Parts: sequence; C-alpha cells; structure tokens
Amino acid sequence: MTEDVILQVKDLKTYFHVDEGIVKAVDGVSFNLRKGETLGIVGESGSGKSVTNLSVINMIPNPPGKIVGGEVLFMGKDLIKMPVSELRSIRGNKISMIFQDPMTSLNPFLRISTQMVETIVLHQGLDKKAAKEKAIEMLKLAGIPAPEKRIDQYPHQFSGGMRQRVMIAMGLSCNPEILIADEPTSALDVTIQAQILDLMKDLTARLGTAVILITHSLGVVAGMCDTLCVMYAGRVVERGLTSEIFAEPKHPYTQGLIKSVPRLDQASGDRLNSIRGQPPNVIDLPDCCPFYPRCDKAMDICKRKYPAATEYGNGRAVSCWLYTEAK
Amino acid sequence: MSPKKNQAVNEFNQQVKPVSLWADAWKRLRKNKMALFGLWLVVAYVAVSLAAPILPLYDFTSQELTHVNLPPSLKPAGEVALGRLQKRMADLKEAGAFREDLKTEAAFVQAEYDKLTVEIATNPVHKRVYILGTDYLGRDMLARTIYGGRISIMIGLVGTITAVFIGIIVGAIAGYVGGRTDNLLMRFVDILYGLPYMLVVIILMSMVPEGTNSIIVLFVAIAALSWLTIARVVRGQIISLKNAEFVEAARSMGASSGRIIFRHLLPNTLGVIVIFATLSLPSFIMNESFLSFLGLGVSAPSASWGTLVSEGVQGMELYPWRLLVPAVAMTAFLFAMNFLGDGLRDALDPQSKNRT
Repeated sequence: MTEDVILQVKDLKTYFHVDEGIVKAVDGVSFNLRKGETLGIVGESGSGKSVTNLSVINMIPNPPGKIVGGEVLFMGKDLIKMPVSELRSIRGNKISMIFQDPMTSLNPFLRISTQMVETIVLHQGLDKKAAKEKAIEMLKLAGIPAPEKRIDQYPHQFSGGMRQRVMIAMGLSCNPEILIADEPTSALDVTIQAQILDLMKDLTARLGTAVILITHSLGVVAGMCDTLCVMYAGRVVERGLTSEIFAEPKHPYTQGLIKSVPRLDQASGDRLNSIRGQPPNVIDLPDCCPFYPRCDKAMDICKRKYPAATEYGNGRAVSCWLYTEAK
Repeated sequence: MSPKKNQAVNEFNQQVKPVSLWADAWKRLRKNKMALFGLWLVVAYVAVSLAAPILPLYDFTSQELTHVNLPPSLKPAGEVALGRLQKRMADLKEAGAFREDLKTEAAFVQAEYDKLTVEIATNPVHKRVYILGTDYLGRDMLARTIYGGRISIMIGLVGTITAVFIGIIVGAIAGYVGGRTDNLLMRFVDILYGLPYMLVVIILMSMVPEGTNSIIVLFVAIAALSWLTIARVVRGQIISLKNAEFVEAARSMGASSGRIIFRHLLPNTLGVIVIFATLSLPSFIMNESFLSFLGLGVSAPSASWGTLVSEGVQGMELYPWRLLVPAVAMTAFLFAMNFLGDGLRDALDPQSKNRT
C-alpha cells in the first residue's frame, strides 16, 4: 500500500514567530497522498490548512514563519531540506498550486500567453512556439473557448471563473504529479464552483494527477475526495477514507461539522446544528486538546494533554481521548 | 468575426481587442493636448540635437572677431556689422565735436569700416546669416544653443538613466529581500539623503584635477547622488506588490527570485518609474545649469544651456539676445518635459482615469 504513496508528510511543524508569541499554525501534521488520489483537507479558518500546503512546497514566508520540524517526502526526497534551486524545478513542474482568488493570482500586467509560456518553457525545455501550442491545448482542455485568441489577452479580460480555468490550465500544463488547490472555488459563485470542480475532477482523472483540495465545504469534499483530513488548530484530528468518515465520524469535531451541514433530506423547521464557541487562538497554546472548551464530551484529561492518534487501519486515525481510552 | 448585418451590436457580440497598459495609456495621453504638445516639442528637440552635426549650422566654436555681439538678423553678417560701424561712426562724430579723446577711436572705427568694406565682397565669412545673433566672441548663437542643448539633454538623459538603473536595482533588492538587507540599504540611502546635494556635487566638481573631461565628472557627480528617490519609490512599490497572490503563484510555479523581480514585479512598477524619469530629467538639466552658471559645469569650448545663460547674463542690458536665446530654448524644453511628465502621470495612473 505504501508503494504508490507519492507524498508523505510526517509530523510537520510550522511555527510563526510574532510579537505576541509563537503561533503554532501547523503542529504535527501527518498524511499520505497516493498517486492519482484526491485528498481533502477541511477545517475552519485559521486551522492551518493553507500553511500546511505552503509548507509542503516550502513557501512559508520566512521570517516570520519557519518549518521547525517534520519531513515532507516527495518521491522519497525531503522537500524541506532540499536546496531552493532544486526545489524550483519541482514547483510548478511536479507539484503545482492553484490559489483561492483567481482575480489576483494572475499578473495583471502580462498576457496570459506570457504567463503560461513562462512556466512551460522553464520546466519542459520547449521553445516558445511549442510552449504556446501546449498552452493553447491546455486552455482548450480547461474549457476556454477560442483559446488561440484568448491566450493573447490580459487577465482583466477574463471573468473570475475563466481566470480560475486559466489557473487550472497553467497548474496542469507541466503534467504535475500533485496539484494543490487552495480553496479554488471560494471566490466564485455556486454555479461556477460546480463547473470548476467538475473540470478539476475530470482533468486530474485524465492526467492521473493527485490532488490536495483545501476547502471549507464538506459538500465539496464529499463529492470530490477519496480521503479526508480534518484539521483543527493546526493538527489533524481525524483522517481516513471520505466514505468512512462520512458514514461514521469519530472525533466530536468531525461529528459537529457533519451535523452542521444543512441537508435537503431532513425535516425542515429544526434549527441547524452548530458547534458552540470559537476556534481557539493558537498563540502559545498549552498541551491540551484545543477542542475541549467546545466539546460536549470533554473529560478531565482533555485539558492536560493532547491525545495521540488512534489508528484504525486503512489510513483511518483519530486523535481523541474517547478512543484512546477505549482501546 | 463581424456581426451579421441584421444583428444589433451589443456588449455580448463584440470582439474586444487585447489592450496593454501602454496602449491604454497612449490613448489617454493623446487626449491630453498639453502633454501631446510637450511630447512633440521634446521629440523635435531630440531630433534637432541628434541631427546637429548634419544640419547647415556654422561651427559653434569658430570665433569671428568682426562679428562680435551681432544682434539677431536675417541679413548677411557683413552688412549688419557694417551698419553697426556706420552708426558708431555717426555717434562718435556727434560726440567728437566736443571731445578730443574720441578722435582716436573714431579713426579706429573708420579703419575698421574701410577694411570691412573691402573684405565684405571677398571673404565668404561675411555672407553668414546669424538669425539669433552672435556672442561675445562672434560665435553663432543658434549653433551654440543647439550644441548646448545637446549637452544639456545628454546630461539629463544620462543622469536619469543612471539614476533609474541604480535606483531600480537598489530599491528592488531592498524591497524584495527585506529584513536586514533592506534596513542596511535604506539607512545608507538616508545618510546620502542627509548630505546637501548641491554642496557634494560642487565639492566633487572642484576636487577634480585639471584636464579631466568635466562633462564626465559632471555625469558621475549628478548620477551618484540622484538615485535615492527612485530607490525609495521602487522599494515601496515592490513591498506593496511582493505579497500579491500572483507573486506567490509565480513562486509556486518555480520562478526564481530574479525572474519574479524583473518579470513580475518591475513591470508593475514601470508606470511610476516612467513618470519619475520624465519629471526628473528637467531637474537634472536645471541642476547642471545651476552648476554651469556657477562656473563649475561644462568647460569651454563646449557649452550647455547653463553656461550660455551665464555668459549671456554678463552683457544682458546691451546684448539681450545672448541671454534670451538659450534661456528661452531651455525654458521651452523644461516646460515641455514637465507637461509630458504630468500627462504621463495622468495617463499611467489608473486612479486618475476618470479625471480627464
């Protein structure tokens, strides 16, 4: 089973040193990504989803951020210890990224062709003409009509959804092994969201690209992802196959999240469930379970120590005292 | 793809041509009459300066002692000089009735007059036409003003280019790298800012040993201290842009720092740089004129507008054209440059888009 794991994140720790103290934005995150698989990472704002993924390609702004521990093994090589020059040949080529806001993630000054050709020439060693043809082909795959005309236009001539299509085309233009999509649809409206997600699903399946999808939306996860990581305050509280987690959420936080999704097949009129309280401030967090103040099943031990992950096999793991006790 | 005849043109069936910022800015600049006028005037100046060696001008260094201080005229120089001598003779005769001491001068002028009447037919020099007059050594003011403009504009250009070049590099590095490097570079800039600019240039100019080409020293002196503002401007721009998502996206695509700075960040700041450059070019010319006026600038026989003006000042009551010609030429150029700069600022700054 470990054969086809292409990305292995082990106990990753990324801290930010700010004036108020140390922010443990990511504190011991581990997960595996297999070839062609789609991994979802869900969690509230500030739970460390984006920082985890920026850490994976070692793009944490330093200072103030610093990866203080852990390993990110891509094809057996540790990306964190890799020199920047070597890392650059992986970024965009083997691992590429799509950002949240398509309105700002394209350089407003350069034509689409310039930006796409740049990446392709850099990584694939094609000449400009061949690279442009490749770019046009990718735009066509991404569902941009008349790509040979559109490619010479500027970002402001594209709508938000179109720009995200361009970003996807750009991200996939070098046939990467992994595509990291950081909330790719948060800035788009719902109908476009569905289109973009379908496009991503379709293209990555066709190209055999593994995807890490960061999102707030459990609905998106249910539709897109094979496996799932639930993050809370910089830690993965539960991970496993999406179907298993949805069928039987173990961690109280996951249970709360799933319960708080509005559903069409349930009686209306009831109040929607919500998790009470606010996510904790992660500055100088003590070694407790960060969820205990909001947890209905909190016990004494939750306030004193963070639980180790309880493994269930098949990649399923939960970090909660409820299950540590039981075992 | 032209819309069919029976189909109304609306916002959905039109083809929009891709417009770069420059095309857009040019469109806006064209609407600004003053800026356009400035642009054409600057183009004309540059064209004349470049073409000076092939223009039918008299040598700007050739001195003609019989033509000293001739006023602007369309008549040949010999005639103008003769007329002047005649007038002088008449004046002297009138005054000589009472004063013995003027007799010798009258005789001298008479001799000059006779000599010139003989020469005028034979010496082609007297066929020259000085439409803008001559200076105190009988040199053509038109040629001197054009060649002076060459040097002044060149100093302005070289100063601006060096300032922009050094400023961009220092500013981009300080802004992009940040941290200690930024601190170090910017404190260095602050220190240089603290020095009185003119004083430093004057000291530099006066320290130079005799015989060195003073124009080159002037270039170095002006350029060495003029990149400070642009470095600050570029640094600020880069800092505000470097956390933009498209930069992060470029990094995630594997672009190197140099590539990000020069390909992604600097083009975004180019508008500001262009505006700064057009507005600082006149100030370089002013500085040079000021130095030349003080006698620290370009040395003879070369001349800049500044030296011409300072020469002109010495006889401005008797020979006003010697002051007015270079002064008007310089002022018109500076005006044009400033109008162009203002126009460019309006054209390149998206915030002022709807103002005009």
